[in-house]
Amino acid sequence: MVRRVLALTSGRIAAAVLTVIALLALFGPWLAPLDPLATGDNTLAAASGTHWLGTDYLGRDVLSRLLDGSRVSVLGSLEVALTALVAGALPGILSVHWGRVFEWTTLRLADTLVALPFLLFAVAVVALLGNGLTQAMLVTGVLVSPLFYRVARAATLAVARSQYVEAAVVSGASTGWIVRRHVWGKILPPIAVALAQTIGVGFVIVSSLTFLGIGVQPPAPTWGGLLASDLGYLSHRPWAPVAPALLITATVWASNLLADAIRDVSGEAGRVLLDDRGARDGRPDRTDPAPAPAPAGGAR
Amino acid sequence: MPGRPTPHRPGSNSRTGADSRPGPDSRPGPRSRTARRPGRLRTTALATALVSVLVPVLGACGGGAGASAGGATLRWASSYFPAHWDPVVSGSGAQFRELALVYASLTRTDEKGDAVPDLAESWEYNDKGDEVTFHLRPGLKFSDGEPVDAAAVKAAVERAKKQKNSALFGDLTSIGSVDADGLDAVVHLTQVDYQIPQLLGQRVLQIASPKAAANPRKLDQKPVGAGPFVVEQLIPGTKVLLKKNPDYWDAKNIHIDDVELVSAPDASTVVSGLRTGVYNFADLDPSQADAAEKAGLDVFVQPGFNASNLSLNVNKPPFDDDRVVDAVRHAVNREEFVDKLTFGHGEATDQPFPTGYVAYDPQSRDPYPYDPAKSRKLLAEAGHKAGDITLDLVIPAEDPQAEIVQSQLAAVGITVRIKIDKNWATPFFAKDLTFSLYGTTGRDSAVQTLTAHFGPNGPLNLSTPYEPAGFDAAVAKVRRTPLDSPDYVRNLRAATRAGLKSKALVFTYSSPNLFAKSKAVSDLPKNPAHIDWTGVTIAGGS
Repeated sequence: MVRRVLALTSGRIAAAVLTVIALLALFGPWLAPLDPLATGDNTLAAASGTHWLGTDYLGRDVLSRLLDGSRVSVLGSLEVALTALVAGALPGILSVHWGRVFEWTTLRLADTLVALPFLLFAVAVVALLGNGLTQAMLVTGVLVSPLFYRVARAATLAVARSQYVEAAVVSGASTGWIVRRHVWGKILPPIAVALAQTIGVGFVIVSSLTFLGIGVQPPAPTWGGLLASDLGYLSHRPWAPVAPALLITATVWASNLLADAIRDVSGEAGRVLLDDRGARDGRPDRTDPAPAPAPAGGAR
Repeated sequence: MPGRPTPHRPGSNSRTGADSRPGPDSRPGPRSRTARRPGRLRTTALATALVSVLVPVLGACGGGAGASAGGATLRWASSYFPAHWDPVVSGSGAQFRELALVYASLTRTDEKGDAVPDLAESWEYNDKGDEVTFHLRPGLKFSDGEPVDAAAVKAAVERAKKQKNSALFGDLTSIGSVDADGLDAVVHLTQVDYQIPQLLGQRVLQIASPKAAANPRKLDQKPVGAGPFVVEQLIPGTKVLLKKNPDYWDAKNIHIDDVELVSAPDASTVVSGLRTGVYNFADLDPSQADAAEKAGLDVFVQPGFNASNLSLNVNKPPFDDDRVVDAVRHAVNREEFVDKLTFGHGEATDQPFPTGYVAYDPQSRDPYPYDPAKSRKLLAEAGHKAGDITLDLVIPAEDPQAEIVQSQLAAVGITVRIKIDKNWATPFFAKDLTFSLYGTTGRDSAVQTLTAHFGPNGPLNLSTPYEPAGFDAAVAKVRRTPLDSPDYVRNLRAATRAGLKSKALVFTYSSPNLFAKSKAVSDLPKNPAHIDWTGVTIAGGS
């Protein structure tokens, strides 16, 4: 699938942007040119040779804070996505195989979670359990999990009705064997789409929560937190929110682009699309007098 | 707010997906849409033009529910929008200014900070000084029609002392009982105390209608007082609409017809709101002062008694060691707070009020100057190497003050972890915390300010029941001194000096009472720490 995603221009762009973001998350704190927590007398300063993106209201280097904050911001969104995957996909698959009680219970639970607003619930849980990013993200992940539940359940249902699965059941195969052998491979593509999309959503949620001062304790920098503090000093540094806002936007955009690319190449439709594009890429220029070959994917 | 991810159904058109792009077999669709485009463009353009014209017109016609037709309307965006409108529950903090729109009190303060008549037209002490009689103005009524008499005063005092969720009972320890005799309220004191007329002003005894106060929960939602305005609509935590109270005793000097008080959404949006006329009055964060001035607004500082401090609990380690407390005192650079938080509008202070206040004691000025080297030496003497001490600084919300404290203490080897606890008030007032921050807007009675900070049960004394030696006697002496006595200032400052021996508080800076208003709103009386609307006019009506 990776090769097929990278065969698309949008896939390559998304992968490039997300790789840069991942590198920032991995090495950002070490790349920071100055101590991101060191205050100074030179507050709200404009960009200069020493401070490439200026300084904040306590005289701290903004570039260093952006780089240092990238890890928390990215890890938070990954935590949301992975929590949602585990809390949603497994019950989604098992709801098809584990009988009506489990199916009914998980369906109602998913319906309930869908009805809860992310931010309000996260704020309430943080008030209950203490202000920390881990608890905020875990809760948010659980709230996002119905997406994975429904995607996994729908894909599993389609597979479960196929004759080869029925044959496996008749021949005494266990649920675990059926899931591993027949279900898992079929539901991976839609799960991958949902995961990429959820990373983007998780990023917006992390940024929103840290914008509201929830999840990360000061003075630890996050992109959302930097954006929030910059907004308070717009009259002094009107351009300041641009950098954290661009980073947030680029990450969310790339995640969504990746989700679209995975969806495009998933399943039969995706293969046909790629084959079709490949055929068109190989097609001679319109000015070429030679007749164009027939599309490889055939008529649709 | 982020939206929820939605699973895409196979075959459905996605907003961003490749499905929305025209494919090789999608020509008929786009072609037919292209054919209708000019007509649709015209329709869209017409609709846009119509909306652009109608929205402002309809918006202007709608107005707020409380906006008067042509009257003078105050549109006030407040950062201190009261969480409670029952004055007994709301307490004596900064939000008393908003409640003063609705409630009057026995006394008020003038521009010198002295107590002057409000609902009481006069008062006198007995010779011993342990009883004071307030004479109420005749013929006054609360906005529900109940009479303003001594029985209402008695009910207000008793409610403040006894109501379970009262935030005021600690302020009324000098008051034993109240006798009501028509328009005369006789206040019997537990000790000689000449501070009572200042104490029973807007901060501590805003008087509600006894009939309405019989149901405090209802009063909290529908306040009934005898102040300059009457509540028409209250949306808790968000907005309150008020109109002028024609029965207010000084109604002739109230020139504002309507008030729309709203909770300021964010400091950075206030100036825009003022500039566009959404508000015409607002309190202002110092970081916004420049922008407000550039926008042509009137930016002014109302005199006040603000002071911020570090609260230490000397009953808990490491602050049970005097050398650690002294190390913290010497590690604090007050000028950094002033420069970075007040943008030049505030001042450093080492006492629970700004310099220049009557209770400020010049003899106690700067006993622990900023000296990081001495701080490190004290910590070493106490047996602490750099990094040995880690403190949790618990605060209710993100605050740059905390980051400055963290940075200054880090410089002497103390590690500070900032903990934001939305439920901070409970452990703070229960004196469970070890280290925190507080900022006061002061009290009209200087003695009240001192006892709140340094008294054994003072709400701002994190080290209860600790009290500095000699403070109790010094405060009792001030209480016994009439305010017009030549000894008053000396005794008051002696009490401040005794209080400042406390190891539980390190004062840092005094933030300004900064406000911005449109030029249509006339200047306010300079009553310290108060917002008094008497005589204020708003040019051009609403």
